[in-house]
Amino acid sequence: MKLLKYPRLVQDQILNYTVYSDLFLLSLLSKKMKNLIKSYQVTRFKHITSIVYDSYTIDHPLVHIGCRPFSILKFSEYEETANVKFQLNISGKMIDFQSSDEYYCPVALFHPHERESVIESIHNYFLDFFETSVEYHWITNNYKISIPRLKNLAVCIHMFIPRRFEDMKNLDNFFSSCPVLKSIDIDFYADESLSPESESRLYQAESIRTTQFDQKTPAVLRNFQGRQAFLMYFACDVSDLIEFVNRWKSGEAFRKLEYLTILIYREGIPRDETLNSIGARHIDATRKPPTHTVRKSYIDNPFKPMTDPIMSHSYVVRDSDNRVASVLIEGNTLSFGVWDKTEEEFLRMVD
Amino acid sequence: MSSTEQGTSSAAPAEPTTAPESAAAPEVPESFYYVHGKDKVVHKVSAGALQHSALIHGMISNLGYTEEQAKANPFPFENIDGDILQMVVDWCNQHKGKPTPPEDTNLPKQKEKLFDLVLAVNYLEIKELLTYCCKQVAMMVKGKSPEEIREIWMIPTDAEDEAAEKEAKKRAGKEAAGETAAAAGDAK
Repeated sequence: MKLLKYPRLVQDQILNYTVYSDLFLLSLLSKKMKNLIKSYQVTRFKHITSIVYDSYTIDHPLVHIGCRPFSILKFSEYEETANVKFQLNISGKMIDFQSSDEYYCPVALFHPHERESVIESIHNYFLDFFETSVEYHWITNNYKISIPRLKNLAVCIHMFIPRRFEDMKNLDNFFSSCPVLKSIDIDFYADESLSPESESRLYQAESIRTTQFDQKTPAVLRNFQGRQAFLMYFACDVSDLIEFVNRWKSGEAFRKLEYLTILIYREGIPRDETLNSIGARHIDATRKPPTHTVRKSYIDNPFKPMTDPIMSHSYVVRDSDNRVASVLIEGNTLSFGVWDKTEEEFLRMVD
Repeated sequence: MSSTEQGTSSAAPAEPTTAPESAAAPEVPESFYYVHGKDKVVHKVSAGALQHSALIHGMISNLGYTEEQAKANPFPFENIDGDILQMVVDWCNQHKGKPTPPEDTNLPKQKEKLFDLVLAVNYLEIKELLTYCCKQVAMMVKGKSPEEIREIWMIPTDAEDEAAEKEAKKRAGKEAAGETAAAAGDAK
């Protein structure tokens, strides 16, 4: 059965039904095959938002497509019983593979000393095959396993730091050596703080979700420089919320911010007092305000790719560029959604 | 001319029913067409079954044959092996007027037969069957090693591709030289 003898439309349809792990292997069979896949599968590849090195709860990553269960390959250390099924030259490096019934994809094997070089060779191949318009994410919850320095790689961390945590030095080393942080999801209860360098890495993440006792350690509400923040504090002074909004309004901080939500467990947020203090403006109560929602920078749940909608009659305006942010205070939560609109443009959207 | 008559049982005119006349529209007798492949064996197929093939459906719509004309002029598909055309006709009959299921497990397992079936189905423009076939072809390499994939789908190596390209260039060069020589001969 000569695949290359089929008409183009048939080849295209067959490749559409070929799973990613087989496409990956197929592309390695010849230059012609790789080019054919790349040109025929353009539309399919356009739908890939990210290639994920999923090292969450496993030591060596499983590489899959976005948040879908389409695996491409798995990395694994050699074991004594390793049964090498085939060998491939990938980006100039010979790599042994075995097959896996557990992950339904080929498994790339490495000795501990060559972990980084094997992962890098395959990553470089992905950059060529899927191209650089795709985002490459490394997901982990284990600060004890180093993350290789790979081109275009952003890191997504899920971590729980308990109150009695005695390995802060290693955690600091992990953060300070981490490549670009795409997202961090951290439950931080430790008495001891992270080092200023590590904290600054957290604040630079594109998206942050934290659960912590108060807003002071780490001080995300004051120092965040990314696009989206989902904060949960046991306690938080209203004055800190007001300070946050006022610093955004003045343009001195949070220039990249698109969405922020703060939930305070202990008590509700005094709505009117807070809105007065931040100098909120209001849309006529009889009219319908526009709904703010943005695509999440890091999608952990494919069924919830957008931020929770904010529909509020209250808003604030940034002094420097007249940009608007909707402000919604409901019970224990303050939601803040920044529009890419001036006040005039924003008000034109009001029904 | 031999003939295997497919779908004739379903083509029998419907018996009058006991339902009130006003409730049922009068049954239109089903029309039949005839096709043959490379082996010249003619298959009688109902228009309903042939609707799966966009190519044949288009031909039927354009020709407006009577039953007699259709019988005298079977559609010739000389590029399709007889056994493959038989499979296609069987599939069209089985799925006549029915919604197609998401999977079809009755496709040939031998890769050469499946290869020929894909080409035939693509030529006859039978969309659903082509989808099943392509899925099955894709499934043939699922979980296989690169060399197994190479063997199943007969993917040449880079060296073989290069050699074939060189050979093609050489041939094209020879043909061009031959044409030039012939043109020069004509000019003399």
